This record gives sequence, structure tokens and C-alpha cells, in this order.
Amino acid sequence: MLNVLLNKVSVTKENKERIVLKDIAFELDGGKIYTILGKNGTGKSTLLKSLSGLLDNRFYSVNGKVFYNDKDILSLKLEELQKIRRSDIKYVFQDAVNSFDHLKTFNYYFKPPLSLIWKGAEGEVKNEVDGLLEFFLLPDSKKLFKMYPYEVSGGMAQRISFVLTLLAKPKIIFLDEPTSGIDAPIVNLLLIKLKEFVSNGNLALMVTQDLELAKNASNKIALLSDGTLSMFSTPKEFFYLNPINAEV
Amino acid sequence: MNLILKAENISYSVFQKKEEKVILKNISFKLERNSVLGISGESGSGKTTLAKILSGILTQTSGKINYFFSRENKKISPVQILFQNTGEIINPLREVGEMLNESLKIGNKNNSSAILLDNILDAVKLPKHLLERKGYELSGGEQQRAALARILAVEPELLILDEPFSAQDYESQENFLNLFLELKKSLNITMICVAHNLRLLRKLADEVMIMYNGEIAEKNKSEELFANPQHQYTRFLLKAEKYDLKYEEFSSREKMI
Repeated sequence: MLNVLLNKVSVTKENKERIVLKDIAFELDGGKIYTILGKNGTGKSTLLKSLSGLLDNRFYSVNGKVFYNDKDILSLKLEELQKIRRSDIKYVFQDAVNSFDHLKTFNYYFKPPLSLIWKGAEGEVKNEVDGLLEFFLLPDSKKLFKMYPYEVSGGMAQRISFVLTLLAKPKIIFLDEPTSGIDAPIVNLLLIKLKEFVSNGNLALMVTQDLELAKNASNKIALLSDGTLSMFSTPKEFFYLNPINAEV
Repeated sequence: MNLILKAENISYSVFQKKEEKVILKNISFKLERNSVLGISGESGSGKTTLAKILSGILTQTSGKINYFFSRENKKISPVQILFQNTGEIINPLREVGEMLNESLKIGNKNNSSAILLDNILDAVKLPKHLLERKGYELSGGEQQRAALARILAVEPELLILDEPFSAQDYESQENFLNLFLELKKSLNITMICVAHNLRLLRKLADEVMIMYNGEIAEKNKSEELFANPQHQYTRFLLKAEKYDLKYEEFSSREKMI
């Protein structure tokens, strides 16, 4: 479903080039949850962002190809790329609160996915939205749509951005540290929906440092260290090969 | 039993749009000297509110807390709290050494503070060369260490830690855990640690208290609570840590209490 070949990702700062990632190649199939593990500062988020062209090209240079449906999405024009990012490939940011504009109510964020992707009857759409909001223990649409992002906690913002992501009916979801800032019971809710999402043949890729999450929630795990990625293997194989990491 | 704290029927409520909202309901417990109490639960269960009441930042609506401290000091509270967002405690524009020396001066007027400063830096494992830096030049973990050093400078008897492990990666979590364990041994401090991470509490705490909706669901010795959880909600939380909950279990957690 997604074919990645990255020769080099580097960042330039004060005229000095620093290589963040090199020689990364992997292939991801639909119907599975993939996890990339790594410590702080190993370039996990950079890798995930480079896959959907989200890195700021003033500082970062990405040398490589990312094939989605046999099309290299990194070579696309910005408008075409944005079109894909709007519908097919979705990214859930780590810092969910700040991915919203604090001066706009949530109504502003829920309107576009509903009108663009959903052509169903209005009541049907409302039920779907309210169903998802209720599942994630959030206030119903009547109340939430009047709220501002600064009124919700970090964990709530994370869940809201996840609901928005699901409403767009994407094929691929990238998640950056989905567990940071939310407590374990809520993470379980997120995983239930994520498993449901991939069971329809879709793909989820997350980066995390939470070993327990990788062990229990993913189908395939790879380790990112010193800018290179190990091979994806099943949790059992992975923790057998990396016994230090298995020490949870 | 050598108690340092005894809390009886603490309740706390706030008024939101003229409606009373109960945050803590009849919390009673005892805390022994030189032990570590872990407090855990979901977000919104009242953990941080309880920590703030115990440290004297908030005043309970009803109930009584008795402290049994070994020395009287009217100026400095023997209870100190390390907040969740340490980045906001350390003044970014002041030198770390200056801040620590100030705290030391307040803490002990007669002692020779140079030796003490070394001891404290040693205890929190903060390298000496960082003293010349300013607050903003420290990393998150270093800021947390500096904040902890400042608290230790006034020699608290009871140290309250509010989510000390959040926003850290696996390795620094382990480092901090070992740091707290060493502090407990070397400085004879009683600690209360609020954290939602049960894995770390298991290693740190002697006793663990699980809270839900402002009430104590279960309180027991750490080994016993994890090996043999009595309360349904504790079992739920332990299962949640393993990330294999079903939705039905989640929605029925209200009935567990």
C-alpha cells in the first residue's frame, strides 16, 4: 500500500547540514498496524513527517521517494499533495492542542470533513459524529461545536483530532506519539477504533517510545536508531531480537 | 507506627455556574514516616487536587489533616511539592546557581552552604557546570532536576511529586525513578508520588492508592495491590496498562465503584 525509499533526509542549520535519516526502505501493507520505536531525538517524528511531505523545505531536504498507489507523492505539486492529505493520508499530531487555531470554535473544524467527504443525509452524518464523540467520552456535537480549543484539555484535544481524522475516512493514518499526555484507559479506546480502522484494509503507522503499546497493539515493529531503521518484524520476533527493549 | 500525616474525611468541591461540583469525597488515610505513597487513577479522578490540598496550596472544604513533623518552622513549610510542568517553575532568565544558593540561604541560615550545595547537586545528579547556565539553557530533564534541587535545599520532610514522569522518554523515566529511590534512602524523606503510570509506581511506592471520581477505590501495600488486586477498578486499570481492554469493560467501569 505504501512503499518508502528514503536515501537521505537532512536538516540545514546555520549553513551546516546534519543528516537525520539515511537509507530507509520499507513496504507497508493494508490491514495492519505498524509501529516505529525509538528514543528521544532519533528522528521518529521527522521520518513520519517526511512520508507525507510535511517537513518544512526551507530547512529540510528529503531525498527519496514515497509510493502510494504506485505514484510518488513527494514529487507531486503542493495542491495535489494537499488533496491526498485531505482525503487519503491523515496525520495525527503529537501536540494536538496547538494543531488547532485557538480563536475558532470546533464547528470550524468539523464542517469541512463533513461537507467534503460526506454526501449522506444530514441526520445520518450527525449520528456518525455524535456516535464517535460519545465513544471517545467527549461532549456531544451540540456542546462541543460551541467550544474553543483552549477550553479543552490536552487529552481531549488529542481525541478530538482523532475523531476528525476518522471522519475524513482516510486510507492511511500516521500517528505521532498517540499515548503521550493521555492516560492508559483512554489509549485503549483509541486502539479499539484503530484496530477497527485497519480491519477494513486500511493502514496505520505510529511512532512511539511506549514499549507496552508497541508490544500489544501493533502487528509489526521496527526500531529507529542512529538514523537508520531496522526491519519490520512481529512483536514476538522483535522483542526476541532486542532483549534490552523487552524489559518492560 | 511512626506517622507523619493523618488525613480524615477530606472533601473538596468547587462551584461551577452556581452548581456544586464535588472533586474529593471523604478521603481518609495515614502515611508512615520514610515511606513512599503512590497515588494513581484516571485523569479527572482528583489526584492532583489531593496533592495540592496535602501541600497546603488548596484548603479542603471539610475534613482534617494532621501533620506530625519533627521540627517546627513557621517560615518554610516542611511539605514541598514538585509540580508537573517544571519548565514553568524555573525562571528562564536567572542563573541556576543563583537560584539554588538563594533557596539554601532561606533553608538554613547558619550552615556552611557550599558543602550543602555539593551534596544536593550530588543527590539530584545535576552536573556542576550547569550552575552557570540560565534556566532556558537547560533541557527538560535538567530543569526538573534543578527544580528538585531547589526544593531539597529547604530540607522538606514530606515531598510531594505531581506526575514527575510525564513527558519523559523511557530511559529518563528510569533514571528519575532511581533518583527518587536513592533520595528516599539518603535523605530520609517521606514521599507522595502522583502518577498515572502504574509500572513506575510499582517500583517506587511502598503503598499505592487508586482513586476514581474523587474516592479511594483501593489502598494497599504495593506488592499486594499489584499481585492480588482486590478492587474491580484496580484490575481494570492494570488491564488498561496492557492495552487490551474491550469497549464493554470500559463503559461498565462506572458501576465498579
